Amino acid sequence: MSDIFNVGLLLSALRLATPLLLAALGGLFSERAGVINIALEGLMLAGAFTAASVTWYAGSPWVGLVSAVLAGALIAAVHAVACIRYRADQVVSGTAINILLTGVPALLSGAFFLSSGSTPQVPQENLIPWTPIVIAGLLVPLTYYVLYYTPFGLRLRAVGENPEAADAAGVSVNLMRYAAVLISGALAGIGGAYLSIGQSSLFTRNMSAGRGFIALAALIFGKWRPVQTMLACLLFGFTEAVAIQLQGVRFGGEEIPTQFVQIIPYVLTIVVLAGFIGTSRAPRALGIPYQKEK
Amino acid sequence: MKLRMFLAAALVCALLVAGTSCRQETRADEKGKIRVGIVFDIGGKDDRSFNAAAYDGVKCAETGRHPDGTPCEKPSLGIMLRDVEPGNPTSIEPAMRAFAERGYDLIIGVGFAQAPIMETVAKDYPNINFAIVDGASELPNVASLVFKEHEGSYLVGMIAAKESKTGKIGFIGGMDIGLIHRFAKGYEEGAKAARPDAEVMVNYVGVTDGAWNNPGKGKELALAQIGKGADVIFTAAGNSGLGAFDAVEQAGKDSSGRATHFVIGVDSNQNCVKPGFVLTSMVKRVDNAVYQIVSDVVEKKFKGGFHVYGLEADGVAYSMDKCNQQLIGPDVLQQAEQAKQKIIAGQVKVTDAMKQ
Repeated sequence: MSDIFNVGLLLSALRLATPLLLAALGGLFSERAGVINIALEGLMLAGAFTAASVTWYAGSPWVGLVSAVLAGALIAAVHAVACIRYRADQVVSGTAINILLTGVPALLSGAFFLSSGSTPQVPQENLIPWTPIVIAGLLVPLTYYVLYYTPFGLRLRAVGENPEAADAAGVSVNLMRYAAVLISGALAGIGGAYLSIGQSSLFTRNMSAGRGFIALAALIFGKWRPVQTMLACLLFGFTEAVAIQLQGVRFGGEEIPTQFVQIIPYVLTIVVLAGFIGTSRAPRALGIPYQKEK
Repeated sequence: MKLRMFLAAALVCALLVAGTSCRQETRADEKGKIRVGIVFDIGGKDDRSFNAAAYDGVKCAETGRHPDGTPCEKPSLGIMLRDVEPGNPTSIEPAMRAFAERGYDLIIGVGFAQAPIMETVAKDYPNINFAIVDGASELPNVASLVFKEHEGSYLVGMIAAKESKTGKIGFIGGMDIGLIHRFAKGYEEGAKAARPDAEVMVNYVGVTDGAWNNPGKGKELALAQIGKGADVIFTAAGNSGLGAFDAVEQAGKDSSGRATHFVIGVDSNQNCVKPGFVLTSMVKRVDNAVYQIVSDVVEKKFKGGFHVYGLEADGVAYSMDKCNQQLIGPDVLQQAEQAKQKIIAGQVKVTDAMKQ
């Protein structure tokens, strides 16, 4: 048993939880303001591709990281304009962004690197394996503080729960929502950057591999609250780390099938979501575009 | 209303003109040339591995030059080449049909997943030649280009076990499927043959096609194996395998300047991806196989059925070059070379996990 449960496992769990946590916190900002953000997957891909490409050209991961933040915010702005200005269906807009981002990196990598969907490998000394983990860790108390102890946070929550009342009190619903969605993109962008220049050393096609959706699940599981969301991400990271360690381990001479090991995180998610968290209540105005009464 | 009608008419005209001019364009550059269409696997042609090798083969046939511009050992065959990289599995069939519909002379599918799709398409176009890499089909107009990966893996397994200090070695497969089990099984047998007490850890990235494009998970698996004592890791996982390259590089070098942990590359020669950390690569000469089938079509001697590439004629092999010649001892190489001759002569039988 000790060869499975050790310090390596905890570090592995932390590394696996980090991209989820960054994306989930991004989702939290957007959704607490009332805009569904199913585009986390695409936003992470945007961040991951930008981070790897810029780091490759600029030779500095910090420039890469900042670019990833900007790229995430830029793509999120598209989502914001569609959902807020044009009151589009938020799930449809998010899905469109996810589909768009499966293609755009392939196109751009063709132009920049004569490849079709991946970047060259960034040298080891230009990787930032720890910074995003620290950023993610610091963002949890920061988000908590901003959300519950600042006027900005109060307004953000208000436009997500009762935009009419917020509007009547003089808060610009649309402005708050724009800000929230942009922050969301920036954070998911950092999550993506971690995938490409933190955890690995290059961008490959669709490398987020569903992590944006898992982050969304963690957000719901965490009841749209920062600390609980962090715990959910850590749990997901931990189960995945255990699944990695369990692969190929023998119990009584029989090897546990890979397929079985790999469903553990997902089965756990369903069990936890269905049985243990009680009711998870979404922000009341989530998914409803706001239109000012004339 | 009138304006709108006019615009619509103008649009239709524009489309017609565009359509015809396109057709003329293709006619002009296809004059007398053999036309070859290739549909890549989900990994994409720049996976530095399996698809990259296939791309290299057709590119040599088209231009006589590798994709990076250096000349090939083989001459250009003067073909016209079109390639498609399907973004998801559902776009493979339309891509193949599009080539077939335009009457291409040869359509190449890359990857086992395309075999059933090619089977249905090839039935509808019996006069067009098809070739599937890593897949099998009984149709007379389909050439199945298959490799004895187990034999090549056996040899790198021997090298891994001999060069390992801990006696523990790892294998990271991409998708958990029969084809990859073939690599794993051969690797394990080779390791045990060289060192009966060797311990082989076998892990897979996933069970969907996303498993080829998840370097983060590949790295975590490699780190877990390193944590359990493995010091040589063989990857057969497309882009995910590059995560293992990062993991061994992170583990660093000892005081003598030799890496403490090694990775073994796959399909293409990956020795120089991280020089000093890559023990060798189990190369699968998809490039040669693809070039050969194109050349068969050009010379009008295309034959369907199985084209098997083994250790003989280097269809599969372990690669040695300037990036890894310092890493493997001469006695180890000698032993691997002897095993190779025995396998070719049939004295040593390596288990084929797909025929069990």
